[in-house]
Amino acid sequence: MMESLGYLTLSWFDPWLLLITGAGTLAGIYVGAIPGLSVTMAASILISFTFKWPVNEALALIAGVFVGGVYGGARTAILFNIPGAPSAIATALDGYPLAKRGEAGEAIGLTTVMSVLGGIIGILALAFFAPVISDFAIRFQSRDYLLLGMIGILLIGALSGDSFAKGVFAGGLGVLIGMVGLDPMTAEGRFTFGSITLMGGIPYIVAMIGFFGVAEALSQVHNLDLPALKQRVDRIIPRLSDIKRYFWLALRASGIGTVIGALPGTGGDIAALLAYDDAKRTTRNPDPPFGQGNKAGLVAPEAANNAAVGGAFVPMLTLGIPGDAVTAVIIGALFIHGLKPGPLLLTETPHLFWFTVGNLGLANLFLLIFGLTGIRVFTKIVECPRAILIPLIIVLSAVGAYAIQNNPAHIYWMLGFGVFGYVLKHYGFPVAPIILGVILGPMMDANYRRAMIGARNDVGTFLWDFVSNPISLVLSVAFVFLLLSQTPLWRRLVRRQRAT
Amino acid sequence: MTAQSVRIRGEATFAILLVVFAALAFWQSHAISGFSGLSEPGVFPMLASATMLVSSLFVLRGVLRKDLPAPASGSTLRDFLAEALPARLVMMVALVLAYVIALPLFGFVAASALFLFSAFWVMWRRGPLVALVLSAASLGGIYLIFRTLFQVVLPRGTLFPGLF
Repeated sequence: MMESLGYLTLSWFDPWLLLITGAGTLAGIYVGAIPGLSVTMAASILISFTFKWPVNEALALIAGVFVGGVYGGARTAILFNIPGAPSAIATALDGYPLAKRGEAGEAIGLTTVMSVLGGIIGILALAFFAPVISDFAIRFQSRDYLLLGMIGILLIGALSGDSFAKGVFAGGLGVLIGMVGLDPMTAEGRFTFGSITLMGGIPYIVAMIGFFGVAEALSQVHNLDLPALKQRVDRIIPRLSDIKRYFWLALRASGIGTVIGALPGTGGDIAALLAYDDAKRTTRNPDPPFGQGNKAGLVAPEAANNAAVGGAFVPMLTLGIPGDAVTAVIIGALFIHGLKPGPLLLTETPHLFWFTVGNLGLANLFLLIFGLTGIRVFTKIVECPRAILIPLIIVLSAVGAYAIQNNPAHIYWMLGFGVFGYVLKHYGFPVAPIILGVILGPMMDANYRRAMIGARNDVGTFLWDFVSNPISLVLSVAFVFLLLSQTPLWRRLVRRQRAT
Repeated sequence: MTAQSVRIRGEATFAILLVVFAALAFWQSHAISGFSGLSEPGVFPMLASATMLVSSLFVLRGVLRKDLPAPASGSTLRDFLAEALPARLVMMVALVLAYVIALPLFGFVAASALFLFSAFWVMWRRGPLVALVLSAASLGGIYLIFRTLFQVVLPRGTLFPGLF
């Protein structure tokens, strides 16, 4: 145990790991800040580059990119009203009005401090609760994993935007993409059309790069002629009175962020929106009103989305289930490095867990340093014309897609997904559920079939198992509750209750 | 946020294409193992494609309920292409397509240099010299970081092996 705990501070004193974590955080801030370059895309591209690295170096880089990337999106949200990442959508609501008042520097400073606070809360939760969840998770059966997958897939409701049907379609499409290849249980071909390339399946990182990176790059072609916005950046360090004033709100938002981040399939974007909603509901007599530059509307989502990073690592490291899209990519990296994230990780490779905890803490320290510096340089990079950014994104995406298995076919897939994703986005289809489906589909398929085989293909026994076991029962109830809470009937009931 | 009440041009055509796509996906899913058992490899694909089919029908219904957009070319397919793939985007997609085809033939360095140069030249419109300098600098940076520093394997050309 003590030996494993030694890994907690490994990256803090190893100059090479220190450098990699710092570089990852810095890269994450800048990549996350550029609209069209998502954290998921950055992580998926970078992970493909680290396949030959030792696992510690790879994890150090990824942790830095993750922490920096989730935060980085806030900068463009505040300065230009363009969230650099989905987790910064809520930040733009009050951040941009603050910038319009000439308080961009102070808003970025406050965002940085509260993001670090949120990040630390998330890491503490990871350190103290992950082992408990891990002990508990060892008792999970196939049907329980199926239920976890089903709970995760419910996120489609939150990701669907205006049309639930479009979100469901996207989710189904993702599941189908995840099914391509030889069935891992029977080696039967699924959607392979006799192609040897397709028999190996479509790596989900290729789908992610295509649907997120290339599709977004193509979408930005419409905005080529838009002029780069200029912004005055003066005060950076936030006022102590503001930190004191919003401290408890940030703590509460961090709690929300940690819990939402820990739920399979949810990440910083949902956490930030829920925390914003919470701040809006609990702040009495907001002055200025929310949406017009209230700092509480800036603090809550930023604390929450960075807390969600630590939270997202809990199910990833203990259950092998992605907390969000980035942790899904990280899971892929761990497998490639010969590790098995899941219930056995803490017993077989505990040092890796403590290394991750310590490394995330270090990344937050770098976030504080880099977040409060380089604002002026940053604005110059963001003001880089889209005509330069778009071709570069395409080249980087091609490099990332090829590097996974050195297979040129993956570059074609990436482009295909990119064009399809662009058209889907153009007609209002969300692409996030596709990735959710690609990630959760194969897991749900395998566990459903194992559970069904366990029940000897008897539907009655299969369903009875869901309520006869305590863990399954709790998860079944949670699933039903979450499903009901997404129905219009439930929303009407809650609204009526609030009114009375 | 309220849903749009007027169709985007080509939206109905796209919705119909999605219904057809979902139906084909269901047909292919059924071909895996049919309805032969509850734990067969085709069960989940059938479930997913059936969900796609039902949801695409809902999407189509929603689109058909919207008001028609202002008349454009008169051809639904042409409207769809004009709306979803305008000329500049088609040019960009064509460039990217040429790039991904050229990658395994010419190798990463040559194909990327050609792609970056053409894309900068066409999209930024600052002249060939600026595009040349910019593409050389950015490609040099990418090569240095990814190949030299990170040791990433980049596509090698089959036409001129050993050159790039």
